Amino acid sequence: MEDILAKINGVAVQKFGAEYAETRAQKLYKTMLTLKEGRVEATKQGIENGAALRVLVNGAWGFASVGSLNTETLTSAVSDACKMAKTASSRLKTPIKLAETKTVEDRVRVKSKKNPVKIPMEDKIKTALSINKAILGYDKRIKSCTIDYLDLTGTNYFANSEGTRIEQDKLYVWSRITAAAASNGVFTFSREEIGSTAGYEVFDAEPPERIGKKVAKRAIKQLDAKTPKGGKSPVVLGPNVVGVFVHEAFGHLAEADLALSGGVLLNNFGKKIASDVVTFYDDGTIDGAFGSFKYDDEGVPTQKTLLIKDGVVTGLMHNRETAQKFNVAPTGNARAENFRVEPIIRMRNTFMAPRDYSLEELVEDIRSGYYFKSFRGGQANVDGTFQVGIQEAYEIVNGEIGEAVRNASISGNTLETLFKIDAVGKDFKLWPGRCGKGQIAFICDGGPHIRVKEVIVGGSA
Amino acid sequence: MAVLEKDQMVHLAENAVGIALKKGAAEAEAYVYEGQATNVGIERGQITKSNRIIDRGLGIRASVNKAVGFAYTNIIEGQNAIEDTILRALSAARASKPDRDWKGLPEKKPYAVAEKTYDPKILELRAEDLVNIASDMLDAAVSVDKRVFPIEGGTGAAYLSSAIANSNGVAGFDRGTIIECSLAAVAKEGNTVTPVCFEFNAERSYNVDPNWVGKEAARLAVSALKTKRIETKTTKLILTQFALQELLYYTLINAVKADNVQRNQSPFQGKIGEKVASETVTICDDGLFQGGLRTWAFDGEGSPQQKTTLVEKGVLRNFLYDNYAAKKEGKESTGNASRAGYLSTPNIEATNFHILAGSKTADQLLSAVDDGLIIYYLQGAHSSNPVSGEFSVVATPAWKIRKGEIEHSTRGVMLAGNIFEVLKNVSVIANNERKMGQLIAPWILVENVRVIGK
Repeated sequence: MEDILAKINGVAVQKFGAEYAETRAQKLYKTMLTLKEGRVEATKQGIENGAALRVLVNGAWGFASVGSLNTETLTSAVSDACKMAKTASSRLKTPIKLAETKTVEDRVRVKSKKNPVKIPMEDKIKTALSINKAILGYDKRIKSCTIDYLDLTGTNYFANSEGTRIEQDKLYVWSRITAAAASNGVFTFSREEIGSTAGYEVFDAEPPERIGKKVAKRAIKQLDAKTPKGGKSPVVLGPNVVGVFVHEAFGHLAEADLALSGGVLLNNFGKKIASDVVTFYDDGTIDGAFGSFKYDDEGVPTQKTLLIKDGVVTGLMHNRETAQKFNVAPTGNARAENFRVEPIIRMRNTFMAPRDYSLEELVEDIRSGYYFKSFRGGQANVDGTFQVGIQEAYEIVNGEIGEAVRNASISGNTLETLFKIDAVGKDFKLWPGRCGKGQIAFICDGGPHIRVKEVIVGGSA
Repeated sequence: MAVLEKDQMVHLAENAVGIALKKGAAEAEAYVYEGQATNVGIERGQITKSNRIIDRGLGIRASVNKAVGFAYTNIIEGQNAIEDTILRALSAARASKPDRDWKGLPEKKPYAVAEKTYDPKILELRAEDLVNIASDMLDAAVSVDKRVFPIEGGTGAAYLSSAIANSNGVAGFDRGTIIECSLAAVAKEGNTVTPVCFEFNAERSYNVDPNWVGKEAARLAVSALKTKRIETKTTKLILTQFALQELLYYTLINAVKADNVQRNQSPFQGKIGEKVASETVTICDDGLFQGGLRTWAFDGEGSPQQKTTLVEKGVLRNFLYDNYAAKKEGKESTGNASRAGYLSTPNIEATNFHILAGSKTADQLLSAVDDGLIIYYLQGAHSSNPVSGEFSVVATPAWKIRKGEIEHSTRGVMLAGNIFEVLKNVSVIANNERKMGQLIAPWILVENVRVIGK
């Protein structure tokens, strides 16, 4: 396969004078199923074979995607891509250049204890049914539950005009579990995700009964919860919320493309933007984690990238294009969801490094505040405004965790908030997730428990 | 561009249904999709890229003993790939469990014509033409003010077609075009960067105004430079289409989906005929809206699209149904089965969710506000509680209205409340309707919303 791809790149360079050409092909296989209240809605299987051709001509990008691996189709598509690039270059002021990177020839095989391809569909349904049973059996106020399951397996092929050739197996196992509860006109909702690049053994680490119970318990607890008081407040954030804060509030700003687009980190490189206890990483090398891989979709090896060290910005996440602009080495963050789209800068496993506090110590000095344990969603803007919606929250009263609170969210400005982190816990956990930036990327985020002196809590009370 | 013809696509679908029945399916459905798009991209102030995407595929739904299996492939050349997909759909069905509520695939019904959804001029656009449109848009944006920095955007022209066939004799083909141009810009002054301000045009016919898009994105960004904090209080809001689209998608639209109602996931359960919104509010789901972005002759399982009144002068009238949810209640589908091309089974989704316009102009709506905010872009709407309708979001930015005039922007304002309370507090609806994704709506004025300032 790589030979064909290399030939296609040759056409771009020789016939169209491309400065650079890369061809990605994929042969991927998906199994999916959706279960609603124990009813199998449909079991699904899909094949996605296709190729993406990306070329740089006269300093502009051209890209073509086709659902075929046929040499003739690919040759015609690469011609398309070159013509597109030429057209796009007509108004270019600053031509695009790429940072240098070592050429690689490699074959990456997955080694899973339980390869999902070898697990019969019946067993996957059985796992989902166990989760379903744990949820619906937890309390009769649980009204519904939806379980989505996906596994994705197969191989990605990569070749570029510089001589890199990579064959890389892909394996993802993912599940999302949601439950809704209702009582006396109060409606609550709870969600949990499982995700791994290791294999189906992820369900041994997260047994169906345990995860089902966790989701159900949260939905039920919220039924009697009060709504929070809006305004400034000290908070303790759990690893799950810290993860989404690191990812949304900081991580996106540290994507070099967004930094260049006027993001607030552009003028802060090398400067102190957070309190001394803040250290962040984006790490693609963690075994089995949902955001891990060996090579990115530009053929650059992944790495552990230090983003903030003891409060000082030390690194951004790059592809080859932004690395050239910053005159640094690419960090292996270029990812494409599939053959239909171009690789863009994405996070991998992004987290905060732990320090030395216990949860009790973090909570004990707060007279009145909140403990935010689990998030529902988050979003950030280039100006540094972030928002994180919370699905599991508690009051903190006189140094102790108290009653449940529902429909809370936190917001603030990232740079202001990073300075307000005054204590960092010694525990650590990573959570799988999916990040949307026009395309979906599988990621992890996480960290320890932390204390923040002040954020804005959105509440209706 | 060379596209698959109607006959080819319908034949592909009917042929697949035939094979599936022969191989042992009790029922079968085939959905064939083709999408072709040409795009030109803007990054950081210049046109840097162009792409061409061709995506075709086939999705097969088959039932065996009331258990449903689905398989798809993006390789539709050659009988082997198609047969293989059919066999995988059947094996998925056989591995699955019977569903006693499964009452079969939709029956054959006549389709209306989807009007103003196809424009051959869009098909003829070349990358050069799209570069010109993008370039006009960029020039317009930068001409507004030196402090404007266009960060991202572009233009795209797309052709989409689908064919469907099932074992009840359903056979349909529809095609359409879409053209869009969009620009996201910030304004920079010293160390201050505004939040991202965004404008776009998206139409089914070749009728976009790149000059307006560029200028409007730039105007909003510049007006977001001057910013002041506001205090926490209960106030009036004008919700523009941007804000409505975000808020409604994750809350109200979920509440009117029949499957959510049946599964006890909607506060509208049992409330047909009851008042759920202020009298000014009338909402239709209109799958046949002329030139609507979601207007097609039939839905994702071949039921005809139609106009369905959901809320009439504040009173809840109906829900959105696909065939499965409808048959469960002995009703007919409202044509709201949606699918992500060939990649998914159908799910209930709104088509064109139309909030009917009022009589006031946008200016009259503004002048009616003595003290309030106008909301464009929201962050965090996806973290709303999808069942209760509770939301807690940030407006980045919002603009303060004083005595009918927009005074200054404000950042980081949080809005918290419940969408169903918001609906009851709608006091005036303007007449400046526009299409945005699945929403067709004007600006609306809402009373008594809690805003948390700094």
